[in-house]
This record gives sequence, C-alpha cells and structure tokens, in this order.
Amino acid sequence: MTIHNLYIFDRQGTLVYYGEWNRKKPGTMSREEEGKLVYGMLFSLRSFLDKISPLDMNDNSFLYRTTKYKMNYWESPTGVKFLMNTDLNAPNIKELLRTIYQQVFVEYVVKNPVLAIGAYIDSELFIQKLDELIKSSLSYTSKV
Amino acid sequence: MASGGVQLSNPEELPIELLHGEMVCSGILGGKEDDPNELLSKLEFIGFSTGYRLIERLLKDSPRFKDELDTVKFICKDFWVALYKKQIDNLRTNHQGTYVLQDNSFKFLSKISATKQYLENGPKFLAYTCGIIRGALANLGIASVVIAETATMPSCRFHITIQRPS
Repeated sequence: MTIHNLYIFDRQGTLVYYGEWNRKKPGTMSREEEGKLVYGMLFSLRSFLDKISPLDMNDNSFLYRTTKYKMNYWESPTGVKFLMNTDLNAPNIKELLRTIYQQVFVEYVVKNPVLAIGAYIDSELFIQKLDELIKSSLSYTSKV
Repeated sequence: MASGGVQLSNPEELPIELLHGEMVCSGILGGKEDDPNELLSKLEFIGFSTGYRLIERLLKDSPRFKDELDTVKFICKDFWVALYKKQIDNLRTNHQGTYVLQDNSFKFLSKISATKQYLENGPKFLAYTCGIIRGALANLGIASVVIAETATMPSCRFHITIQRPS
C-alpha cells in the first residue's frame, strides 16, 4: 500500500501545503496551477454531492476511486481541507487526515506565530513532523 | 474517538502561548517597524513586571534562601516549573556571579523550528522570558543583567550576570 500525495487548502481555497511521497506520474503543471484545478474539482464535487444526495448528508468527508487510485477528502470544522491520494487498499485515511490536522497542523502551523495565516507553509519542522507521521502510518508501511 | 479527538495537553496554557506569540509577532506593542530593539526592550520590560509580581505570589510559603546560588537554583527548578511545566536542563556557574541556564526544549520555540530555520526570530521570543528572570531576581534583592541566545531551536541559553554594588 502506498500514499501518493497530500494537498492542504485553507478555507478560502488557497493551497497552503503540498506534499508528495510516491507519485509516479509527475504533474505537468506548476504547483499553484494544479492546486487551483484540484480545489475547483473539490468545490464542484462537494456541491454536486450535496445537491444530488438522496439522504441528508452531514459528513465532512468523502472519497472517490478510480481503477488506479483513491482520493480521500476530509475537512475540519474551520474549513481547512485535506485531500490525500492513496492506492486502492489504503485503509482509514479519514482518521489519518484527522490525526494530521490535530497533531501536526494545529501544533506546528497554528501554534507557530512566525507563520502568517493563509500563507504557504514552509516550516521545516512542520514538514518533518508530517513526514514522520505519514511514514509511520499503516497505509504507508504495510506491503500488502 | 469517533467524534471526540485528542485532548489538548494543557488547555489552560494555550491562550498564554498564543498571546505571547502575538505580542512578539504583531505590531500591538507599537514602536517603529524599523527598530527591533524597541520591541525587544518593551517585551523585556513586560517580562520584568511579570516576573517581579509572579515571584511574590510563588514565594508566599517558602523559606528564605541561603545564598545567591540557592536563589538561582530556585529559578531553575520551581520557578521554571511554574512558568513552563519543566525544569531547566542545565545550570552552570563560574561562582563569580555569572550563571548560564540552558533549556533544551524551550516552550516558545518548540513549535517554531528544530533547525536553523527562522533563527533570526529567536531573540524576539526570548526577550520576555529574560525580563521575567530579571524581575524575579530583582524582587529577591539581586540586580542582574539577563541575556539569551539560541544557536539551534528549540534549545536556548539564558546568561545571568549579577551586578555587584561597587
């Protein structure tokens, strides 16, 4: 199993962080361009799901699958959006995204007064802690 | 765990942590943008008053100190625990009025960096605490100069130099 990449958007839809672990097909666009495209897709998908749903939806997460990968989405109550692409078997990514938010994002971004709110995150400490968490997660390590 | 999530480790300390961060990074202290020394001395003075008052409160049940070293040891142990929930990691002295207090994981730096990144911001985050130490010592009758340095975050050193009446 593997984790491909992670996008973090703030509530305005600005890409505040992009991380990559096992991405075999490099993107053809700049990071900013790709971020806008991904956010546009997310935004449409969210309102689409909301309108088309036959049941009352009260969830801050969803995922889709292709034949090759799985896209997992989770949003915090404050509107910070996490989008992670994994392989098809990766379990419990929603919980992993929540953990990233609580243990890495809040600790090393929100509590770091040097980082401006809404700016791209360039803190090495944040990147290091995120990498540790991802690499210790079951979805990254197990070889099934 | 379904909807709860992790608990804040020390919820009562977070507002103080954030307040300190804002004091350091935003312009609420006034002063000219191009004069970092003014910001540092203001932070230091706020720390001085804080320390001066705080020590009064903390020492209400405590016996008198034997000597200067005893006082500095109190700063390293109980005082630091009251402030930052941990003790100073290392205390060194030349027995001539100079003390070096080392904290290997200083609270106000621990969320910022673990490398040389943002090092230029270091002094701003230490000024308040320098003032606290100086204020605390001042109220115990010890005049001093306290400066701080950080080579690699989140560890830092506070140098206390006691001013002897000549």
